[in-house]
Amino acid sequence: MAGLLKKTTGLVGLAVSHNPHERLRILYSKILASLQTMPQDAAYRKYTEQLVSERFNHVKAEADVEKLEKKINCGQIEEVIFQAECELALSRKMSEWKPWEPLTEEPPPNQWKWPV
Amino acid sequence: MAASLVRFVRGGLGRSYNLARSSCLLQQQSRLQSSTTETSPTIRPKDAVTHSQLAAFGEYVAEMMPKYIQQVQVSCYNELEVMIHPDGVIPVLTFLRDHTNTQFRNMIDLTAVDVPSRQNRFEIVYHLLSLRYNSRVRIKTYTDELSPVDSAVPVHMAANWYEREVWDMYGVFFANHPDLRRILTDYGFEGHPFRKDFPLSGYVEVRYDDEVKRVVAEPVELSQEFRKFDLNTPWEVFPAYREPKEAAPKLEAGDVAPEAPK
Amino acid sequence: MASAAATRAAAGASKVVKPLFSRDLDEAKRRARDLYRAWYREVPTTVATFQLDINTRQGRDKVREMFDRNKHVTDPRVVDMLVIKGKLELQETIHVWKQKTHIMRYFHETEEPRATDFLSKFYGGHDP
Repeated sequence: MAGLLKKTTGLVGLAVSHNPHERLRILYSKILASLQTMPQDAAYRKYTEQLVSERFNHVKAEADVEKLEKKINCGQIEEVIFQAECELALSRKMSEWKPWEPLTEEPPPNQWKWPV
Repeated sequence: MAASLVRFVRGGLGRSYNLARSSCLLQQQSRLQSSTTETSPTIRPKDAVTHSQLAAFGEYVAEMMPKYIQQVQVSCYNELEVMIHPDGVIPVLTFLRDHTNTQFRNMIDLTAVDVPSRQNRFEIVYHLLSLRYNSRVRIKTYTDELSPVDSAVPVHMAANWYEREVWDMYGVFFANHPDLRRILTDYGFEGHPFRKDFPLSGYVEVRYDDEVKRVVAEPVELSQEFRKFDLNTPWEVFPAYREPKEAAPKLEAGDVAPEAPK
Repeated sequence: MASAAATRAAAGASKVVKPLFSRDLDEAKRRARDLYRAWYREVPTTVATFQLDINTRQGRDKVREMFDRNKHVTDPRVVDMLVIKGKLELQETIHVWKQKTHIMRYFHETEEPRATDFLSKFYGGHDP
């Protein structure tokens, strides 16, 4: 078990995770559940579901942590957990903000024209 | 697909850096001749790969948040610019910070630009860096003298002093800022020095007065009128931004600039 | 998103603008009065801590004069902005971040009034 032998992640403030699979499984299912509340055609839901379920499948299929890190290819497993935590927080905020709605307000004419 | 897309961006940027590091003149020229018709060594080589990757990534972000993003463009120096509505500062910054495919966790810079001829004269500019994907993005929004902008401090702690600077120099008010007060100007200073209508010489001058035994400030008196100097440089200031001969196609929100303004 | 809700609440008949704090003029006036009271109470302490060569009465008159200078302002957003700036000044005064010179700048003691008639301008030497 590489996870048990690992002493440090080498990153400040990021502790070694002893059961990354369990943690990721909980986080990913929570993210997917949170995405269910969004409309079907929202781009955020579409892309995030794709991304999360891809990683979730890796987590389910691969028991070895090092191989899993290679498959996900986004840093150490602790960093992946951190990313999942962020994504979960974001998805909850997203359902509040509803950014898939049409543009709130057009910019005033010539606002983005450069040079003026 | 999305994951591969952003990683693609990362790879592309890395490649361009390698190029810049290892390029000698000969390599560059041969590359130029093969890719474009420009042969002058002073012209910046076009990096079409990076450009298209950034454009694709910009499209991805715009598709995610059509509510706030008004326009996305990639400049001629391969910088991604995202123009957003002022209401969307917190959502867009949070999205870029927390989404797995973006992870712009560092705020590099926050500043403002004053363009008095516009209806909303101040442009607020945020520069973000993603260490994970080695990539940068520039967020722009707009405001005027009296409209508050949501403070970015809840998202990026680094924004604290930058916003104080913008408040001090431009007078843009940031709502919900924890500690908004002056940072650069002296106590008792009036006005916002980086505004275009702030005179070059300032409003007051200070001197030590022997009668009252302290430093006093008096309205500035100059023998010559500084404000009437012609301050335009004789050189062309934005050679990369010459007016295009034909009008550029109108960009819709969420659309990607097909070509950088040349 | 309290500000967004406030915007919707403030959506009057005319153009909708994002308020700074106050939704109407009465609220803005209340803020201005609060600020005036705070300054009024602070004046004796200021005179004592900075060892100013004025009495409390003069200080309060100056505060009143500074507020009166902006009494023509009716836009609640402008009032709010002035109140914000006044609060910052008050904070700087209370914490003694300012020094005596900064406080005494309000009184314009050493400034000579600008010459208006031709002869005084002539004696002054230059005519900006």
